[in-house]
This record gives sequence, C-alpha cells and structure tokens, in this order.
Amino acid sequence: MFSDAELQVFLDELDEKIQVINDNLLILERDPSDANALHEIFRAAHTIKGSAGVMGYEHMASLTHEMENLFDRLRQGTMRLTTEMTDVLFSALDTLKELRDEVTGEGGGADTAPIIDKLRAFLAGEDAFVPQAAAPAVFLALTEAEQEVIQAAAARGINAYHVRVLIDPQCQMKSVRAFLVFNNMERFGEIIKSVPPAEQLQEGLYGEGFEVVLLSGEPGEYIRNMLLTIAEVTDAQVTVLRPEQAETVPAAAQTPGAQKEGQTGVQRAHTAKTVRVDVEKMDNLMNLVGELVIERTRLDRFAALLRAHEGVDDLVDTLGEIANHIGQVTNDLQDQIMKARMLPIAQVFNRFPRLVRDLAHRLGKEIDLIIEGRDTELDRNVIEVIGDPLLHVIRNAVDHGIEPPEERVRLGKPRTGRLHIKAFHQENHIVILVEDDGRGMNPAVLRAKAVERGLLSADAAARMTDREALQLIFLPGFSTASTVSDISGRGVGMDVVKSQVEQINGTLEVASSPGQGTRFTIRLPLTLAIIRALMVMVGEQMYAFPLANVVETMQVRVEDIRRVKQTAVIVVRGSVVPLVRLADLFGLEASGADKLYVVLTGSVSGRVGIAVDELVGEQEIVIKSLGGFLGRIPGISGATILGDGRVALIVDLRALTEEITHRSQMEEAVSLAG
Amino acid sequence: MPTVEEKEREEQIVVFQLAEQNYGVDIAGVYEIIRMENITRVPRAPSFVEGVINLRGRIIPVIDLRKRFEMPAAEHTRSSRIVIVEMGGTTVGMVVDAVLEVLRIPASSIEPPPPVIHGIEAAYLRGIALWDDRLIILLNLERVLYEKEKEALAQIEQTA
Repeated sequence: MFSDAELQVFLDELDEKIQVINDNLLILERDPSDANALHEIFRAAHTIKGSAGVMGYEHMASLTHEMENLFDRLRQGTMRLTTEMTDVLFSALDTLKELRDEVTGEGGGADTAPIIDKLRAFLAGEDAFVPQAAAPAVFLALTEAEQEVIQAAAARGINAYHVRVLIDPQCQMKSVRAFLVFNNMERFGEIIKSVPPAEQLQEGLYGEGFEVVLLSGEPGEYIRNMLLTIAEVTDAQVTVLRPEQAETVPAAAQTPGAQKEGQTGVQRAHTAKTVRVDVEKMDNLMNLVGELVIERTRLDRFAALLRAHEGVDDLVDTLGEIANHIGQVTNDLQDQIMKARMLPIAQVFNRFPRLVRDLAHRLGKEIDLIIEGRDTELDRNVIEVIGDPLLHVIRNAVDHGIEPPEERVRLGKPRTGRLHIKAFHQENHIVILVEDDGRGMNPAVLRAKAVERGLLSADAAARMTDREALQLIFLPGFSTASTVSDISGRGVGMDVVKSQVEQINGTLEVASSPGQGTRFTIRLPLTLAIIRALMVMVGEQMYAFPLANVVETMQVRVEDIRRVKQTAVIVVRGSVVPLVRLADLFGLEASGADKLYVVLTGSVSGRVGIAVDELVGEQEIVIKSLGGFLGRIPGISGATILGDGRVALIVDLRALTEEITHRSQMEEAVSLAG
Repeated sequence: MPTVEEKEREEQIVVFQLAEQNYGVDIAGVYEIIRMENITRVPRAPSFVEGVINLRGRIIPVIDLRKRFEMPAAEHTRSSRIVIVEMGGTTVGMVVDAVLEVLRIPASSIEPPPPVIHGIEAAYLRGIALWDDRLIILLNLERVLYEKEKEALAQIEQTA
C-alpha cells in the first residue's frame, strides 16, 4: 500500500492536472486550433494516466487513457474538436473528479464505461494510438555556454560528471523519484543540464532513466554510491566529462529541450521554490507568533517600568533597545506568517469558467465571463468559506440576471451577456465584485413581492427608498424568481449568502438598475485571525465589538431614552431604534451615569442600539476561541488578549441584534394580545 | 495473596484544600498550578464558570470548585490557587482554596467512595485515600469537568 504522504502527492498532482485540463478545454472551446492548449491537456492526461496506473486506480487510468488518445488525435490534426466532443470531454472530466472523490472516500461508485464508450466512438474504429513517454536514451549535447561553465569549474578543481540514472520501470511515482534524485545530487553538486529537461522529469515524462551533467567536488564513486541508496534507482553510471570530449557531439543530436541555454537550470530552480506545508503547522506557527507578540508587550512594559524605577541608565537603555528590536522582528515575523497563509483567490475563481459555461448551455444563454484579479491573495480560511456564497451569487446572475439572447437582441443589447468577476485589494479588505449586464432588479417589483410574501406591510414598503427596497432580497423567505429553477432556486436564498459572508466578518452589498444590470460587492477581511474592533467598557470590563457590525456610535442622555410599550427606544434621525444596555444583556452591574454611549448595529431586519459605559477606541485584535469546554455562548464569539495581558471578550453583535429584534417583536405581540 | 508488585504500587496525588477538606487529583492530569490572577468573567456561562484567563497566550476557562460542588462561596485569599488540568484535549483551570502538597500514596490505601461525602456525590469521586491519619478525597476529573457542564450547556442552548 501507499503511505498517506504518497497518496497526498498523488491527489495534489491529480487536482492540479484536472484543473489544467479544465482550463485548457475552455480555451480550446473558443479556439480549437490552440496548439499549446492541446499540448498542455495531452500532457496532463498522460501524467494522470501514469500515476493513476501506478497507484492502482485502474478506472482512472483507463479513462484518462481514452481521453489521452482523443487529445493525441486532435494534437496531430487528424481530428477536429467539435462542440459535442467538448461536452463529452467535460463530462469525462467530471467522472474523473468523481473517481478522485472515491479515492478520498468523499464519493463513490462512478461508472466509467458509458463515458469511455463515448470517447471511443469519436475515435471511429481506428486502432488506439498509445503514445510513448519521452524517448529514453539521449545524446548529451552541450552548448558553448555549458562548456564554458564546465571549463571554469575544472579550473577550480571541480569535476563535471555525466551521470546516467536508471529508474526501476515499476517505479510508483516517477516524478517524485526524479525529484529525490535531483535533491540528492544537489547536496554535493550543481546540476547544469538534464536530459530530458527538468520540466519533463517533474512530470514523470521519462523512460528508463535520465541523464544529467553534474558539477561536483566529490569523487565519482561516491556520487554513484549515494545515488544507489535512493529507492528504485536501479543503476547509476557516473563518468567524468571532459569539455573536449563533449565537444565532439554533433549539434544536430540536441534535443529540443536542451537548445535554450540555461533553460534546465532555471526550471530546476523553479521546482525548488515552493514547499507544501501542513495547514496545522501554519496554524501552530501563527499561535506561537501570537504568544510572542504578547510576551513582547510584556517586555516593553517591563522596560518602561524599569526605566521609571531605575532612572536613566546604560543597562536600562540597552534593555529598551533590545525590546524595540524584538518588537520589530516580531512584527515582521507576524507579517510574513500571515502572508505565508495567503492563497491566491484563483483557487476559487478557477471553478467559475466551467460553471458559467455549463449553466449558460443549459439555460440557452450566451455569456462572456471576464475574470480579473485572480492573483489577489486571501487568508486560506477565508478562501475556504467564500466559495459557496460566491457560487450562489454567480448562479443567480446567470439564471436570473442575464437575459436569453433573443430577449437581449429585442432590447437592443448585445446578444452575448457579460458577467464580470473582479477581485482586488482595498485598504484592509479584499473586494470581490460580481457584475452582470442583465435585466437588473426593479424596486417596485421587489416591494410588491415583499408585501405579497407577508414580509412587509404595504405601508412600510411604500416608505422605502429604492436603495432600501433592493436590500429586501436579503430577507429570509424572499426569492425573486417566479419559477423555482434547479439552478438557483433551491431554497437557498440571498439571506443565507449574506449571513455566510457576515460570518467571516465580511459585508455584502447590492446595487442594480433595471434593464442595465446588477452588481454585488463582497468585502472580506484579509484574514480571519485578526479583525478591527471597537473596544468598549462596561464597568471594569472591556469588550470588543467587531467593527464590521458597527454602523455608528453616539452619545445619548438618559432622559432621551423613551419607552414604546415595554421596549426602551431612542430616536435616531427620525427613526425609532430599540435600545438595550449591554450590562442588562450580560447580567452585569449597570453604571448610574446620566450619559450613555450607544453603538448602533444592525442589518436589513432592523437597527439596534447597544448601550455601554465608555468607548475606548478602535484596535486590531487577534481572535481566540473560548474553547470547547465552554462551548457556544450566545452573544459571545470569542476572546482576545489585550496589551496588558488581560482577556477581553468579543461580542457577537449579529447574534445580539437578532436576539433584541426578536425580543422586541415578541413583546409587541404580547402587548397586542393583552 | 497480593504480589510484591501490587504492594509497592504508588500513586502521585496533588493535594489541595477546599472548604476545610483535603482533596486530591492524579498528578498526571495536572498541567500546572498558578496563583490567582485576573479572571475575566464570561456572561451567560454556567454559574460555576469563574471566567477565562490568559495562560501565556492561550485562553483557558476557569471553574470554581466550590460552586461546582455547591459549597458555600468564599472570597479568594492569598493562598487561593488555580490548578490547571488537562482532560481529553481541553485545558481547564480550577480555583481551590490552597494547594498543600504532592503525595505518594500506596494504591492499596485507596478505597471506593461512599455514596455521598461532604455533599459530593460518589459519581464525581474516584475514591477515598486513608493514609498517614489523613483522609483525602480523590476526584474523578473527567466527571467533575464534564458531567454537569453538559447539562448546563444544553440548557443554555435551549433558552437561547
């Protein structure tokens, strides 16, 4: 059996290759003559076939084998890509994903037979062509530049070796093996050339072995022995290469990969540029840095204390300097680790071209999808959560937003609709825009629908501005589609999307003009670990209010608080807002001050004022969990450690707002009944 | 007949004081013992939860053992300590009146608990150690920390 680590390497590679096939199929669909895309696909399919076979996933291997055959025909130009073929290839890709899920235990029982039959049908009875891996034996030809390098090395007493490494034909993962061999050799020398080129070796595209030119001060026998210790290396031949010897090799024997000077070197460097790190390790690192930050604060305070105590002194000054420097280094460290946790949003965006294509096909719509800002980086936790809400917004745009081509033509719009997805950095946030040029939303229709659904009184609806009316789509139980389609009307409303975004301290806004289109704006924090918060005091205790949920703050005199039935309220610019003291909510002692600070928080369903004793200010805080022992405490979402080492609780404003709104509605109902 | 090995088997117990009585927990479960420090109250938590503290960057919940066993409340004093214990992956602090010592007691001196002792039900106890003229009540940490909390937390969730 294979170890978990090996399996993971296989799965990662598989995911990557599936994505490559997916992306390039989309390119081919637009331009079937794109030779580069075809080549990429062919190589990806070939790699999957190879490693799936080795790992014993025969269904996967045979499916990719058929795909590869078809791609090969296309590549050779004996066949042309048809729409029908693209569809079949896409569904083959889906089957491949199902097979992948089967490996991880997430799914099961994908049947490859029907899709293989379809693929074979295209090949129209010709004998399947089995492509070979890159030709095994190669002539080693050196360019002039390489000759010079070897001569220069020889001058320093460093030998150039021609190393021929043979790998067991039964080798399980050729790409990994090649990587290991490279790694090993780099420990005692420098590889200046390889045949086949490093790029192909990485993909496992080599026959019985490969050859490299290695510069090393070690004796040849030593190198040979080192290589033989690597598992699955069946033989290693190491011969000293003299520049004049290599010169006799005719230039015509050069392989295409060896023609560009220094190419292999550059690509080898590329392989070594990234490492895969377990997420848990990153999280641990982050925690450790958190602790370091806290200790640094203590050190600062101690230095200040000592200064106050001992007066100006060289030793005290030195301590202060050290504290300062540690502070800087810690800040940088924190920054770097945060960055290391970031992933490009491409991870999420890459699913969309295929999704939009499929949806558009199914709905008979024509859509141009424009994606910008794939490289925008986000914390991996945010990336994990944002996929679903974003998917939903996009489905909505395709399903309800963009009109069918005929309707668009009738309206004098371009036949093909435009869906624009864009991610960019703005201050401390990442903004994702999803914009369509479809039919937009009509505030009048939204109002009518809300009244019809009993979500709003006709009176209240009439008073709403158009902007406010648009927000109605975020109410639970509101769906604008008159018919429930299987694409976006599956009971998941925009309210769920909004709350998903808010759960990670993001915001979701909508703007729309009828006939011209709709724009959703999702604003996300760069990381989930650190948020900006408004620090408030109640009694002796400090609490953190996440700024994402704070609408505004104000000062209120006790005599301005009014009562409507049972509920305390204040009037903010003409509208009545329920007011609750945090002390009352949390069962704390209330202060007797005649002035209160009120934090307005709220959502579409209503604004709520939460009164506290004092506003301390805004601050960045590191979110920590209260842990499993306390479980979920309603109204408190976590804790943070303050500069002086004390703990401040983070208030779950969303939950409290809902609680208060709910409570005042109940009271209203009770008083009406009474 | 007891074998030699059984005779010599000893347990290491952290002994602490709570309402004039001696209690003990297995040292293996004790992570560390710290002085009383600023405990941040957690509103809406079960009543026996004293709050949370910052233990070198970790947020640790602290429970009051007196409240946990429904004993009369007492002010914290200079000798009050927080015993940090680790149970099944969670770390919890327990406020006790004082920590006395670490004792090695022979396993043979531990007896099963009576149904109720000083108002504490047998379910929370591992046994009673009678040793060197002293009576030490041994707590079953797992039960103490989890049994009632679960009910209490379930209640909170219902009312929420």
